[in-house]
Amino acid sequence: MMHYLKYFFYSFILIVIQTQVLRLLSLEGITPDILTIWIVYIALKRGQLQATVWGFIIGLLFDLITGNFIGLAALTKTIAGFTAGYFFGENKTPLTLGSYRFILIVLLVSFIHNTIYFIAFTQGTEISLLRAIFQMGLATTFYTAVLSFLPMFAFARKYIS
Amino acid sequence: MQRLVNIILLFKEYFVLALLIIFSLILLNSNDNIQLRAIRSYTVGFVGLFQDAFSIIPNVFELKRENEILRQLNVNLSDEVNRLREARLENIRLRAMLTLKERVEFKLVTADIVGKSLNLLRNTITLNVGENDGLHQDMPIISESGLVGKLIATSGHYSVGLLMLNKDFRASAKIQRNRTDGIIAWDGGEVLRLKNVSKTQDVRSGDIVTTSEYSNLFPPDIKIGFVSKVTETPGSLFKEIDITPSVEFPSLEQVFVVTAVHDTERVALEKKTSRIKK
Repeated sequence: MMHYLKYFFYSFILIVIQTQVLRLLSLEGITPDILTIWIVYIALKRGQLQATVWGFIIGLLFDLITGNFIGLAALTKTIAGFTAGYFFGENKTPLTLGSYRFILIVLLVSFIHNTIYFIAFTQGTEISLLRAIFQMGLATTFYTAVLSFLPMFAFARKYIS
Repeated sequence: MQRLVNIILLFKEYFVLALLIIFSLILLNSNDNIQLRAIRSYTVGFVGLFQDAFSIIPNVFELKRENEILRQLNVNLSDEVNRLREARLENIRLRAMLTLKERVEFKLVTADIVGKSLNLLRNTITLNVGENDGLHQDMPIISESGLVGKLIATSGHYSVGLLMLNKDFRASAKIQRNRTDGIIAWDGGEVLRLKNVSKTQDVRSGDIVTTSEYSNLFPPDIKIGFVSKVTETPGSLFKEIDITPSVEFPSLEQVFVVTAVHDTERVALEKKTSRIKK
């Protein structure tokens, strides 16, 4: 029970950081998505079911806070949590978190998440589908993957050495 | 029943995923729902507190981009200011020309200067009007500031004017204040010369010089300039009088050509008497 509260609190803090602090790191309007990294962490730590539910909760909170389409981030982050859950392995968690595999998982999950998110987000706008996927989706994916090096190094230090 | 529960438990991840996706899609479809909007407004208001706190931190990249945009805007605005300034000056010039056109009695043809030389001893201008506009040789050229010169050659659509700043230019002139006559000429300096003015005549700096009635080319009372210097050379019968032209030749862009100024009867009579004198 305690860890649910802890996760909820961390999720809230990370959403605030995502919406208020990470804009300072935005390049050409592209911002890294630490919530996806967080969901991947939950998936590797707690398994697919919890990652899916937490993905939904985090996405819904994000939607409510940002005032965008309610349900969109909930949908995409649910799918992100579910996808990341496939890489859960109880005995391998420390090894995965502290290695390049963490980056690759973030890269894959983030790509799926961003592709769905930006395709839906740009509907009804003049932004083309290709631009939504390749320019916005891929750029955000790579930026997120680059940022995931930070937790990876921290995990490597904590679990491996 | 137990079997169904077992199946659900076996595929619980998929069931949960399906449920949450359906729930998300319902939410997506209910975006205009009043309750959702109310919840959203509460959360946005709550997060607004954090936004205020974080807004004091400047975004370096955003600031850089904003700076670039402002620089670009500054260049565009400067360009616009220059164009407006240019338009204002043109407006002033054209208004002055319009006033002159209304003031003078003779017929004027407006012309743009399409070529100009000011560094030679025989300076000329090329105008974009010609014989098709009713122009021919010896017609006076004036501007709103005063006398400019006269036409020396014409073609169908163009004409060449001889400026006052030309060794070959001569015009009968007078001091406006006391009607003292003289001949305007140019010796190659920055100023014109009023020649043939006797030392006994009263000429002072600042006197205005205009064309005189004695000229059979130029209409009378067209401003030429003002006396800028009067010198009396020992041994000479005449004063040396410098005239600063009222026309700014370097910035001259539009002029008028005066048509139908010749008194043909007078010109014919003067030519006839000239032949008799010879």
